[in-house]
Amino acid sequence: MQIRNSLYLLVLGVGVLSSAVGLLARESRADKPSTWWAPNEGRIFPAELDYKDSSGVTRTLLTDGPIDTKGHPFFTAIGPNGRACVTCHQPADGMSLSARTIQERWKATAGKDPLFAAYDGSNCPDLPQAERKSHLLLLDYGLFRIARSWPPKDLTGKTVKPDFDIEVVRDPTGCNTNKKWGLHSDHPSVSVYRRPRPVSNLKYLTAIGFAYDPKSGMPLSRDPETGKPVSGNFMADSRVNTLVEQARDAMHAHLEMMGRLDQKQVDRIVDFEEHLFTAQQVDNVGGKLNDSGASGGPAKLADSEPGKLGDQGHAVWSEFAAWENIPKNAKLTPEQRAFRESVARGARIFRERTFLISDSMGINWPIGFGNPVRNACAFCHNMSQMGNDVAPGQVDLGTTTLPFADPQPDLPLFKITCKDEPHPFYGRVIYTHDPGYALTTGRCSDVGRITLQSMRGLAARAPYFSNGSAKTLRDVVDYYDRRYNIGYTEQEKQDLVNLMSVL
Amino acid sequence: MKNRLFIARAVSSVLAVSGVLVGVAAQAQDIVQFVSCPIYRDADSGKKSGCWLASDRESGARYDVSKSPTKPLSDHAVLVEGRVTDESAACGSPTLDPVRVSVLDMPCTPKMLPAEGYPGRKFVLPKRNVRPLTEPRSAPPKPFAAKTFYLFFDFNRDFIVYQLDDYFLDRTIAYIRGVKASKIVVTGYAATDPMEISGQEIAENDRIARIRAEEITKALVLLGVDPDKIETHWHNGAKAVDVVDSDGLPDSSRRRVEVFVQP
Repeated sequence: MQIRNSLYLLVLGVGVLSSAVGLLARESRADKPSTWWAPNEGRIFPAELDYKDSSGVTRTLLTDGPIDTKGHPFFTAIGPNGRACVTCHQPADGMSLSARTIQERWKATAGKDPLFAAYDGSNCPDLPQAERKSHLLLLDYGLFRIARSWPPKDLTGKTVKPDFDIEVVRDPTGCNTNKKWGLHSDHPSVSVYRRPRPVSNLKYLTAIGFAYDPKSGMPLSRDPETGKPVSGNFMADSRVNTLVEQARDAMHAHLEMMGRLDQKQVDRIVDFEEHLFTAQQVDNVGGKLNDSGASGGPAKLADSEPGKLGDQGHAVWSEFAAWENIPKNAKLTPEQRAFRESVARGARIFRERTFLISDSMGINWPIGFGNPVRNACAFCHNMSQMGNDVAPGQVDLGTTTLPFADPQPDLPLFKITCKDEPHPFYGRVIYTHDPGYALTTGRCSDVGRITLQSMRGLAARAPYFSNGSAKTLRDVVDYYDRRYNIGYTEQEKQDLVNLMSVL
Repeated sequence: MKNRLFIARAVSSVLAVSGVLVGVAAQAQDIVQFVSCPIYRDADSGKKSGCWLASDRESGARYDVSKSPTKPLSDHAVLVEGRVTDESAACGSPTLDPVRVSVLDMPCTPKMLPAEGYPGRKFVLPKRNVRPLTEPRSAPPKPFAAKTFYLFFDFNRDFIVYQLDDYFLDRTIAYIRGVKASKIVVTGYAATDPMEISGQEIAENDRIARIRAEEITKALVLLGVDPDKIETHWHNGAKAVDVVDSDGLPDSSRRRVEVFVQP
């Protein structure tokens, strides 16, 4: 079933929003007692879907019009564990999954929801599944187990010879030393624990702005299936590079499907994903985010061309530039005005407040920017409208790797020993909770590099960073402040938090 | 009071630099080459505006090497090759331009200077930059002719230097596509003959010429060139070439790959 946007607009225009049509075209949290989309429900996914979140309303648009999700492979439990794609990509959570929602599901189902599947929804499949502590990483940090085969395989399935050794130093989940699931099992695997990324705004993540990857010094990689260049901008470790391969990978890794998706199923999943756009639409204090000349919300994302550098077109987060000079006679409450002005300042700070970036692979080396280099957030978060990296965005912020990572006693710790050249910043021996991109490339110089996160719909999907180490947006700002010794003022921190909360 | 002291210090620094300049001006247009530990001056005129300085131990002169496509790592020694200019206002030392910095596998103690009144250099997009894919590349004029393109590398590296080699490579692939090349010959070169620089014997390793050639071949294939049309060769003991893209820096021109394109 396809009902086009034009019909939706027409219905709105004549003001006859009957309950039946309204259900097809628009759904709000008030319409449904539960925000949770379970597999196989057969709901209609409307063209516009609003949900309350921690600071306002997040909106998801389906630009090709509503769809009936009955039998749709994104919404159907195709594999044996009862999960569908929607299980971990919930509309109310900006098409990702918040720790809050995970905790609610645990409480509502006594841990029986397929979300808590032993394979990746628990710390390790061998653990007693009825116990909360077996699912601690998912419940407390929103982390799913990702088992990467070791040594890695490249995009064509060929084994990569790594230039480093990996050892398990600490194994609180027991999975990396497990006889069946661990590094020395019959199928050697490295278990790392990561947040699910939002399945929305994907035209920005697949967009190709330039033919080259300046971080590798080479032209962009190509998809072995189609021969076309790929952006290299999704999945934390860039282990696959197309939405088609991502869908197949997820079916195996998260739905435990043994067979292969047929082409029609893949096409339906990818088509659905490519028409989704998500962003914050309303802030509880600031009001509508597309008001008074601002253009927040997902409509701008849907309508804009992806893959453009902010400094060659629309400056990053210039959607809120009009709030830099709010007219004195604007009918706003003092709180609303102050919040909007703060958002606009946050956007400028994001682009212009420079600091010294040091010891970060993918930024300071091997690209020739130098160590240190002075720049701002928008140096890497440089794509207009979206804030991801126009170039493939594998960067080491240190969130997973010592000495920069915050203490993470619940996560495994690995010792990496570089066999050839030492890592330019960490040296020959590196301690990390998640080697990131190095689990794909097999290069010790890639340890800790993680693909940049999407920055839209953040208010709906805490916690943040790939390992969930930042529980709040303020924690994100504080991490950067510590990591790069920035010295943000309290006002600057709040402005950045307010900005990120409206993206 | 603080401000007055600061200005006095800054003026005194400028005067001190001017003294150096008198000596350096006589050598303007000279090419210098040395190995040194880099110093970062934390000047701030916005993004990428900090200064990189490096001193030639033999002459005692300190230079601004910030215009190099590759910037230093603060804890690694650098090989500097550049032409001395009279400009020193941005960073407090005479600017080398053009200049190439190669990061060496030699440790240094990181050193950072405060701005000391120097503004650094406001970022300007280098003229050699790859344009977005949305901007069409102009077709080569007819009649098509055989042509050789050059890519230049940092010492002992095969990395395609950002805003230098990627630009050259983009031009090369545009020509290959434009003339529908029938044959492409990729030849890697390395400066393997030892040179004494700053009291050290410097020579590239004898594997890097091959690695460079193979990397560029791989890059061309990734850009869609039929691998059957590409021949790959390499030579050690490279001699300098004097072409426009080498910027008149003879020793860095020895570290190169040539791509011969036959229409």
